[in-house]
Amino acid sequence: MAVSVETLPTLESDESVRARRQQRTIGLAIFAALSVGALVAAHDVPDWMDSGIQKWAQDRYKWSVVNRQSSKIFTWVFNPIADVLTWAVENTESLLLALRWPGVVALVGVIGWRTGGMRAAIAGAVALFGVGVIADWDLAMRTLAIMIVAVVIALLIGIPLGILTSRSDRVERVVRVLLDTAQVMPIFVYFSPATLFFGIQFPPAVVVTVIYALPPAVRLTNLGLRQVPVVVNEVGESFGATTLQQLFKVQLPMARRTILLGLNQVIMMAFAVVVLASLLGTGDLGREVLAALQKLEVGKAFAAGLGIVLMAVALDRISTGEKSKRHSRLATKLPTVSSRTAAMIAVAVPVLTVVVARLFDASVFPTSLHYDLATVIDDAVQWVQDNLRKGVPVIGGTQAISDFITMHLLDPLRDFLLWLPWLLVIVLAALAGWLSKGWRLSVTIALCLGLIATMGYDNKTLLWDRAMDTLSQVLVAIFISIAIALPLGMWAGRSDRVERALRPFLDGAQVLPQFVYLLPVVFLFSIGRAAGVVACVIYAVPPCIRLTSLGMREVPFAPREAAISFGATGRQEMRNVQLPLARKAILLGINQTMMMVLATVIIAALIGAGGLGLLAYRATAKAQIDFGLGTAGGLSIVLLAIMLDRLTQAWGTRSDNDRGA
Amino acid sequence: MTSIRRKGRLAIAGVLIASALAACGDDSKSSNGGGGGGTTSGPAITLAVNPWTGSAVNAYVAKAVIEANLGAPVEIIDIDENASWVGLDDGTIDANLEIWPSGHAADYETYITGKKTVVDLGKLGPQAKIGWYVPKFVIDAHPELATWEGFKDPELAKLFATAESGDLGQFTMGDPSYVTYDEQIIQNLGLPLKYVVAGSEAALLTAIDQSIADQKPLLMQFWKPHWKQAKVDLVEVALPPITPECEASLAAADGKYACDYPVDELYKAANAGLAAKNPAVFKMLSALQLTTDQQSEIGSYIDGDGMTPDAAAKKWVDANPDVWKAWLA
Repeated sequence: MAVSVETLPTLESDESVRARRQQRTIGLAIFAALSVGALVAAHDVPDWMDSGIQKWAQDRYKWSVVNRQSSKIFTWVFNPIADVLTWAVENTESLLLALRWPGVVALVGVIGWRTGGMRAAIAGAVALFGVGVIADWDLAMRTLAIMIVAVVIALLIGIPLGILTSRSDRVERVVRVLLDTAQVMPIFVYFSPATLFFGIQFPPAVVVTVIYALPPAVRLTNLGLRQVPVVVNEVGESFGATTLQQLFKVQLPMARRTILLGLNQVIMMAFAVVVLASLLGTGDLGREVLAALQKLEVGKAFAAGLGIVLMAVALDRISTGEKSKRHSRLATKLPTVSSRTAAMIAVAVPVLTVVVARLFDASVFPTSLHYDLATVIDDAVQWVQDNLRKGVPVIGGTQAISDFITMHLLDPLRDFLLWLPWLLVIVLAALAGWLSKGWRLSVTIALCLGLIATMGYDNKTLLWDRAMDTLSQVLVAIFISIAIALPLGMWAGRSDRVERALRPFLDGAQVLPQFVYLLPVVFLFSIGRAAGVVACVIYAVPPCIRLTSLGMREVPFAPREAAISFGATGRQEMRNVQLPLARKAILLGINQTMMMVLATVIIAALIGAGGLGLLAYRATAKAQIDFGLGTAGGLSIVLLAIMLDRLTQAWGTRSDNDRGA
Repeated sequence: MTSIRRKGRLAIAGVLIASALAACGDDSKSSNGGGGGGTTSGPAITLAVNPWTGSAVNAYVAKAVIEANLGAPVEIIDIDENASWVGLDDGTIDANLEIWPSGHAADYETYITGKKTVVDLGKLGPQAKIGWYVPKFVIDAHPELATWEGFKDPELAKLFATAESGDLGQFTMGDPSYVTYDEQIIQNLGLPLKYVVAGSEAALLTAIDQSIADQKPLLMQFWKPHWKQAKVDLVEVALPPITPECEASLAAADGKYACDYPVDELYKAANAGLAAKNPAVFKMLSALQLTTDQQSEIGSYIDGDGMTPDAAAKKWVDANPDVWKAWLA
């Protein structure tokens, strides 16, 4: 598809070319006029632009603090919800503990076997067993209980919402904006309201987790249903199926694969917030990570973090639900079993395991199986700190890199953004939007930036200035990420060996809670914005490498072969055939990179990055005083994210639209 | 299609049977926290532990004493400082035994004086003090930096410069949730320093280690008591003593503060319902006091000897009956 579009010569009449040129000239003239206007206007955002949103949010917060025992919305809505959530998590937890660890492992194995075959069974069971080996099993079960409840709720809300959005474009648009906003909003902004509404411990933790886990459930259900071919729907209709029959007998089963992919994403998103949610008093594995970091015990934090990762992997393997491995070598060696026997095994194995485990009272994960990962990691971190921070030949060590990033990348860019009159920033960004896609995008961008200007002050500093600080960090982080990820991704896309070598690093860096490597980053790069940028890069590089490599691999073989048969060298073929054809996937990778950077730049406030992230953190840390300010900071991040997202997405779709028009 | 569904159903059946089996005759973990001894009864008392050792010391000592003598099970909730106020407010948390007043003036006003859902249980004992600190090697090399006036010299201040602070010296602040007048103090005393927020206590502690390892000067907000004080040599920089004008400026929050930090008298707080829920526990927690020395002794069992807070508290409670018996009188 893309091949023909990209390679066919475009035929345009002289007239349309002329019209287009004329439009372009007019557009440029308008932007030039606007720029002049921006230069003449005030350099800083004027006072009257302050929308008072900070005070509004702070007042809402205060009202909730005062009325949380008496107001009907609490006694009739929030409190019952909180009770149900507490009940659900506590019972799930006692159930998991009652199954004893061998029972849980066996159960995961059996579920994996039924959904994904022998490989999934083994992978799931081994991963879960590993949780017990490196982390505290009982705490892990509490985390698992919270995750199970949150994932179930996310599906209960997400799938119906997905069905709804698949029926109406308008609903879809509204829901998508809401979900995007909810997901990009820094988690710190949710904590204080969540505790006021739902109390402490499990209920607010589940609620916050659901907020982040919901979007993929909605998005992929919607996508799956929309992908059901029209013909299939018509066949159902002609056989007289009702709408509901259609939905449950035809559409949902056909969308099953995509929805399952959604489940998988839901689980991943849920696990991403475990660590921070422990601030609310969940007392689970996430708290182990935070408590260890608070005492600079990186090894301990890493072990607990890896426990969380392994649990996510276990659930991932058994929820993927792809039985494609049926014809693999492993499967053919195993004797095939009839479905009746399979069912018997599926019931018998966990039951027997639980019985045996309880007979031998295996309530505690055996300490003899415990592996002390913490010391190993601590030694490694110490070595890295001793040897890489200073005195490395040529580059001078990480400290020098850190100083370079601050002084030669971050400072100039931030100072430049602050030096520009604020309106000029908006005009220039809008111009970029117009050049990328057109007027609509240009207006969206101007609107996003314009709204940031209405967010008011932090003490005496404009939130606009904080936003420019954060924007400079985001841009530098994206730039460095792409500079690292693109070459690696291209290399991995052309060599299986490189791909294999990179994979464990990619998987690990992406699933490991960001907190675990925040401290090592500070060890190496010292506190400040540069450390924040490095943390962003670590988190953002993996998806970019992965998508670039994937894009390169998905290029059809025919055009590449054609190029080679015409005598192109490997390098020429890559540059002139493979790369252009993989462009879309690569641009998608850049979009993902940016979202990852934005997610991390907030948490980077904990290691000295300042900016909007620090404001958002204050919504949690000093809610009584700064909740309004933190909310305004969080909203500014959302606006920055929407702007950058739409812009990078436009690059990915531009060529098609231009030529289709 | 059907086969997939049937298998799914069977798997679910298996799960259910297994769980039913597990649930029946289940007894071991209904009371979390693993209450001490079989004498505990009545509703559990929940104590908050905020993320530092001192907070755990108080709570686990109280737990040991309550469970052994007052017959109520105690549940510990590890939770963020700010979230614990919400728990105190609605009664999910019965008491928090270590609150630093300077950081929670607004909470005190809202919950204790305002809503009256939380009550002040009196002083814990230790006096805490926030201040400006530098590692000792800095003072050894430049004795004049022992007081704030030394920092007026731009050349000396520049010793503390980093890439973040440029030509000025860097003043490092840790967790933004802690109380801070540092920006005001710097500005009102006219010091050539730039205020930089490290973002978390952990990041600040890392900065201390790096400063000492590299012998690169560091100026920061730090406090006593803190476990790090026992491990590294830190010296407090003398700030101007507190004047009536400073106190007035603090009350007015006019941004003109230019003095040292006031002493923090750590206090305890409980949910207002605790007195009715368990009067004996309420009385005991009101009487509970630990000295700074006692707190750091128990703390050293945890941080130094690697004991669990539970075991550390029991060890101390067993060795010092006369101290806690006074709380029960």
